Amino acid sequence: MKPETQSRIGIYVCHCGGNISDYVDVAQVAAAVAQEPGVTISRTHMFTCSDAAQQEIIKDIQEQKLNGLVIASCSPKLHMYTFRAMAERAGVNPYQYVQVNLREQDSWAHTHHRDEATRKGIALVKAGIAKSRLSEPLVPLRVNTKPRVLVVGGGVTGLKTALALSDLGIAVDVVERSERLGGWVADWKKLYPTGQDGQALVAELEQALAQRANIKVHTQAKVTGRSGNLGDFTIRIRTPQGEQDLNVGALVMATGFAAYAPLPQEFGFGLPGVVTLPELKKSLSRGEPLQTSDGRPVKTLAFIYCVGSRQKKTAAQPQVNTHCSRTCCTAAAHLGLNLTGAYPALRQYHLYRDVRTYGKHELIFGENREKGAVYVRFDEKEPPVVSTEGAQLRVKVKDTLTRREELEIAADLVVLVTGMLPRENAELINILKVPVDRNGFFKEIHPKLRPVETVMDGLFIAGAAQSPRLIGEAVSSALAAVSKCGALLKKGYVDLEPMIAVVKTDKCTGCNACLGVCPYQAIEKTVCDGRDQVTVIPFSCKGCGACVPLCPENALDVKGYTDEQMTAAITALAQEAAV
Amino acid sequence: MTRVNAELLKTVEASGEFNAVACMNCGTCTALCPLGLTNLPREIFRDVVLGLEEKVLANVETVFSCLLCRMCQVNCPAEVKIADNVRTLRVHLNKTLHHL
Amino acid sequence: MAFPIRHLIGILADNQRLRGSVMPLGTGRLTAWAKGLSLPRGGSRVIYTGHMYQMMPSLASMEAGLGLMADTPVTRLMGWGRFFNRFVNLSFFLTWPSGRQQAQYDLRLKKIAQSLRQAGIQFGYLYEKELYTGALVYDLGLDEVFKKHAQRVWAMFQKHGVRSVITVDPHTTEMLREVYPKVVPGFQLEVKSYLEVLAESGWTPPQALTEAVTLHDSCIYARTLQVSAQPRAVLAKGPLVDSPDHAGAATHCCGGPAESLYPHKAETVAAERINQLAARGCDTVAVLCPICLHNLEKAGRARGIRVKDFSEIIG
Repeated sequence: MKPETQSRIGIYVCHCGGNISDYVDVAQVAAAVAQEPGVTISRTHMFTCSDAAQQEIIKDIQEQKLNGLVIASCSPKLHMYTFRAMAERAGVNPYQYVQVNLREQDSWAHTHHRDEATRKGIALVKAGIAKSRLSEPLVPLRVNTKPRVLVVGGGVTGLKTALALSDLGIAVDVVERSERLGGWVADWKKLYPTGQDGQALVAELEQALAQRANIKVHTQAKVTGRSGNLGDFTIRIRTPQGEQDLNVGALVMATGFAAYAPLPQEFGFGLPGVVTLPELKKSLSRGEPLQTSDGRPVKTLAFIYCVGSRQKKTAAQPQVNTHCSRTCCTAAAHLGLNLTGAYPALRQYHLYRDVRTYGKHELIFGENREKGAVYVRFDEKEPPVVSTEGAQLRVKVKDTLTRREELEIAADLVVLVTGMLPRENAELINILKVPVDRNGFFKEIHPKLRPVETVMDGLFIAGAAQSPRLIGEAVSSALAAVSKCGALLKKGYVDLEPMIAVVKTDKCTGCNACLGVCPYQAIEKTVCDGRDQVTVIPFSCKGCGACVPLCPENALDVKGYTDEQMTAAITALAQEAAV
Repeated sequence: MTRVNAELLKTVEASGEFNAVACMNCGTCTALCPLGLTNLPREIFRDVVLGLEEKVLANVETVFSCLLCRMCQVNCPAEVKIADNVRTLRVHLNKTLHHL
Repeated sequence: MAFPIRHLIGILADNQRLRGSVMPLGTGRLTAWAKGLSLPRGGSRVIYTGHMYQMMPSLASMEAGLGLMADTPVTRLMGWGRFFNRFVNLSFFLTWPSGRQQAQYDLRLKKIAQSLRQAGIQFGYLYEKELYTGALVYDLGLDEVFKKHAQRVWAMFQKHGVRSVITVDPHTTEMLREVYPKVVPGFQLEVKSYLEVLAESGWTPPQALTEAVTLHDSCIYARTLQVSAQPRAVLAKGPLVDSPDHAGAATHCCGGPAESLYPHKAETVAAERINQLAARGCDTVAVLCPICLHNLEKAGRARGIRVKDFSEIIG
């Protein structure tokens, strides 16, 4: 701790052009704190954030050799970085600058009590001074980043991520659980809307991959361990060739999706001739003809939509998939259209709840209808019932578009349009600490503004592992993740806020009470001088302070917001209130 | 319970243009009909598409009482040629039911 | 079912097939309107009545009879009616149009021709050679009969060297402009309604018109043929033309097309439309189509509204 006598603090109280001074007597505030211990200078400005005011403050700092600053103005959300930068320019450690919020927390809140507002203003500034007196100079934490990325998943999303990173000059390790690359797309033909062959698309990516010296592909690989932090992770993987450690600066999770597997009897699943959409697509891609379970040609085809998607919780089924898989309506319409091309006499009935062929996919829905596919809308409360009568399948459905007429469709094949689920990856998620949402998909920090970042710094997500997606959408998110990797790794280092938790080794008893509460897994057990203790991983800690109040020994502190500083600030406030 | 039958639509289409598949059942036609016909056009069209022949035959009077005033047709958001479809249905019924 | 429509449609189809029109009338009755006008016979441009105006009094008389029969056991005899109609033109016996009505409809045609002449338009007339277009059989879905008839009509135009026609009602206009080109191979004819011809010529009625009228748009003119500004343009200098709720492309049907098969339904629709027209506060309603005229006239009487043909407003 720094002796108080050495403090040379400058106080600047802002009018904010009347926003503050209309209700708070700023001159009185400045005068009232001028004699506080450690205060060297106390002034007011019309606009403290103006260039002229900043120049004056810088001059004061240099002439008066100030080592602390308290600016009583607006919310730190608005100008904290402005004044930190000014402090740095003037040679004061930016973390020894304290902003007191005299606008949102005082003048705007007390427009009808001017005298009281001025009294409160004095108290707030005195609290700021108390905090400033105990402030320490801090330096940002610099991480030297490794120009290498681990991509988990070798489907189209993962491969496209790898290629784009390679384009940026960043080396890539791709780990793929199965024996081959390409994921689902490698099993598909004719993709919407170009009609391109999925197998050809994967071959194209693999060919490009082979040209790159800075991409390493590990198939039949499994992630078995993780250590390190943003910019410098060590990931252990196991392949048939053995175990190895990969030192990477960031990770991109592109583990893709799993198809929903219907339960026995669900919409007739298990009856001969009842198949899922992925099964049928695979069979057709293998070149097999469209035929019934006993090899007859299919004359009438019935699709049942929303199988395994948009489910409602019931007492019997509390664990359900509430999400819409959003791709399946388009996939079924596209398959329908392809089949109409191959089998013009085929009759198709599409039994749906709501058609969600959003955006341009609406065209394929329209085309499918124009070419004769009949769409029948059912109510989720009265789902279609599939049964057999001899070799023929019978689908009974109440059509809400036709007076809820109960229709019976004699179908040769029933296709269950199953949705997308996250892959079963519990172990991987546990090792890499990937945040997931309630349906098990990877979870971003912010769905709109930070769509590929996670709360785990340096761990990005892409593709259908995050939510159901079409190929183009998955690739878009892959490229977004690539750009975030590039921004993180290309500079060679990254500076992190130094306001993180620290352990007072003389007080920590190693009780581990803090371990479970850290949302970032930034606290680890350790042994110090033969005693069990905990230690904070500096680059993982975000200074949230969740651990501090849990410590029974008061052995934890957050830099910049130490217990001592906060106590001093509260005491100053309390003293003013008592006057 | 009614068994769907794709043949009816094919037979009707043989009598002329019939573009009812674009119908999205919004009900604009029903709301605008000066005759207040409730099951024409969308319900009958749907019966045709699904092949519910007996429903169509139960509504011959409705099909022939349409004024062909086109109030529904010019306002149909799905651009279904409603009045033209009604005429096609009349052609179909005259051939198959009235033997004319 | 109020009527065994199968037999009714059958009679209309037989008439069209055997006698060239749903309502076969003698040529004297069809051409009487042109007496005294000295219209040149034929020519490359002719006025084409399509028989709609001339037919209205007979249709009215037949409908009155059918209206009485509707929902009665007599309808069971319709099958016999159709059988006999094949050999004897029953409409000749069944319909007794009043002479006064016939004269009124003829006068309307005459006024149309006179207005066209005043506007300086040159045209001839095909007199007894003119044929009905088959509009009703087309609307009723009697395509085979209609197609054969349409060929005859086209042959008639070709034979007389007609290249351009001025029509007087929306149904005939729609048939010749929209339907014939689709069903008759090689069909080519300039088709304009007299409303369009008058509006293009810039003609306005010479005599000062003072009476305000509410204009009822025809479904087919307004929605299919985009004719609704033209009659208003012709009357621009004349009396106030007021449009009701549901005007132009949103016009409300007069109910007339249901007249021949469902007279009672037609009445209901007409009454509703007259209410909308009467709500504007004018005592006079102008119509552009003989079917609208006939159907609204009856409904108007009950409300004290006078329904006039457009030709009577301008001529």
